[in-house]
Amino acid sequence: MSEKIALMTQGLTKSYGKVRALRGVDLEVRRGEIFGYLGPNGAGKTTTIRCLLDLIRPDGGAVRVLGIDPQAEPVEVHAHTGYLPGELQLDPNMSVEGALRYFISLRGNKVDWGFVRQLTKRFDLPLKPAIKNLSHGNKQKVGIVQALMHRPQLLLLDEPTLGLDPLMQHEVYRLLKEARADGATVFFSSHIMSEVEIVAERVAIIREGVIVEVAETASLINRALHRARIRFKQPVDIGPLSNVPGVVVLSQDDSTSVLLQVEGEMDDLIKAVAAFPVSDFETERSSLEEIFLAYYEAGDKEAS
Amino acid sequence: MFAEFKHTLRRMRGQMIGWGIGLTLYGVLMVSLYDSIVGIEGFQELIASYPPELMAFFGDADFLAITTPKGYVGLYYFNYMTVIIGIFAVAACASLLVGDEEKGILDLVMAHPVSRTALFWGRLLGYVAATVVILLVGYLSWFIPSGSSGLDLSWIELLKPFLPLFAELLLFGTLALLLSIVLPSGRIAGMISGGLLIANYLLIGLSNLNESLKSFIEFTPLQYYQGGDAITELNWGWLAGLLAVSAAFALLAWWRFQRRDIRVGGEGGWRLPSLPFRCRAATGVSRHSV
Repeated sequence: MSEKIALMTQGLTKSYGKVRALRGVDLEVRRGEIFGYLGPNGAGKTTTIRCLLDLIRPDGGAVRVLGIDPQAEPVEVHAHTGYLPGELQLDPNMSVEGALRYFISLRGNKVDWGFVRQLTKRFDLPLKPAIKNLSHGNKQKVGIVQALMHRPQLLLLDEPTLGLDPLMQHEVYRLLKEARADGATVFFSSHIMSEVEIVAERVAIIREGVIVEVAETASLINRALHRARIRFKQPVDIGPLSNVPGVVVLSQDDSTSVLLQVEGEMDDLIKAVAAFPVSDFETERSSLEEIFLAYYEAGDKEAS
Repeated sequence: MFAEFKHTLRRMRGQMIGWGIGLTLYGVLMVSLYDSIVGIEGFQELIASYPPELMAFFGDADFLAITTPKGYVGLYYFNYMTVIIGIFAVAACASLLVGDEEKGILDLVMAHPVSRTALFWGRLLGYVAATVVILLVGYLSWFIPSGSSGLDLSWIELLKPFLPLFAELLLFGTLALLLSIVLPSGRIAGMISGGLLIANYLLIGLSNLNESLKSFIEFTPLQYYQGGDAITELNWGWLAGLLAVSAAFALLAWWRFQRRDIRVGGEGGWRLPSLPFRCRAATGVSRHSV
């Protein structure tokens, strides 16, 4: 495996009884990138992450994490990885500090407590309260701090901003970008499209245990459908516009206004529009959410 | 492994304190009552007049020797401490690993650089250490006050019966641990292990009343528990046998834990098949309309 690859799965399969959670997942995540793993609940995101950490054993396929086989050397993988589970549970009777010190002891006490204090201050997380007295959001902060505190080479985060308020969500995004800047690879699952769009450089979309798309976030959005509303200074014949490849006329109010759907690059359309007396040109790109839903709707149609 | 050992001991400190206080109070009380009880005029005759079935159930020898230090300690302590402290052993071990798994805590713990082997043995050794502490408190609660009473037993004589008691606690504890890893829930493992412990205890008593049970109880662990008899003649072979079976249970549990998925959402649980009348109720079809 190339040294540039942080994570690799090939033909990963995993079933729980009759339920096939993963049906041959192929993934490659490059070192130093922030990679979003998109899918609705039950698509196989958590199962993939737990296979990467050898918490569960796949039925088939190959996995490499930082060039290491997690089934052969799980401790080595865990030493360089920070993990945040999707449904974080902590010992309710421990204090925040007790829980963090326990996780530090599991890491051989090789964690800088000063850095842990920096992280807790950034999250405004008190150390003294018992875990059982914390809100869901504060528990999530404990999970994020323990995942980051040893400055891991790889972060595996399952729904990292679950239960956090918008301010704290942005703090998490900042921390992920800082970790990436320090050379770490971030692999995070989410079903919140907006956060993937903000943070991730590349995304994979998983649907019913199969990867249906892997692409750079920007290219995925650009490649998708755009809408363009054009207003003209005077009535025009829009025939030449509808002949532009990839352009479909959605509606035409009168001869001075038209709503178009554009697939792919806008270059040809802009060149064609240049021949018209344009008063306003407004474009609206598809959000990642629309793209994501498009994959799912397409899949549902196939299934039916 | 040391981190998990320390963590387990820390989590069991409440149980150690609770059991320690209970056993201390009981031990001190029984030692202080010894002189009064054996000094009761006609006490031996009173005991001898008990129903023979009752005496047989608890062991004739202990009953008839109740006025001796060995018989007294055997009957009032070691006779049933396997069951009493056994409840702690079974409950603690059934949730030693699976308790955290069922709460979803183990998932994150095991994502740290600690091997499954270190986690398993660290926790099991933590349980063993907690059991030793509880038994040590029990031992001291008899030994320290015995100097000021007529309970004339040397420190080594009093120590000997604690060894098979420890071995039995280890055996039923490791059985509960093994079952918790094999069965779908820690609660079921605890119930089965605890049920086996109590059933075995009752069978031993009943076998004194019914000879036909003697051949069966040869295959049960409590048959090799020596109780108060160990004060005078500790059978080291039996003790080693109990420890060997405990080690076998522990090794099997460790082997299974190595190869097992860590569950977070009840995967791998067993489902009981739906009963026919439940199906009818669910579909809204009554017996009368069929």
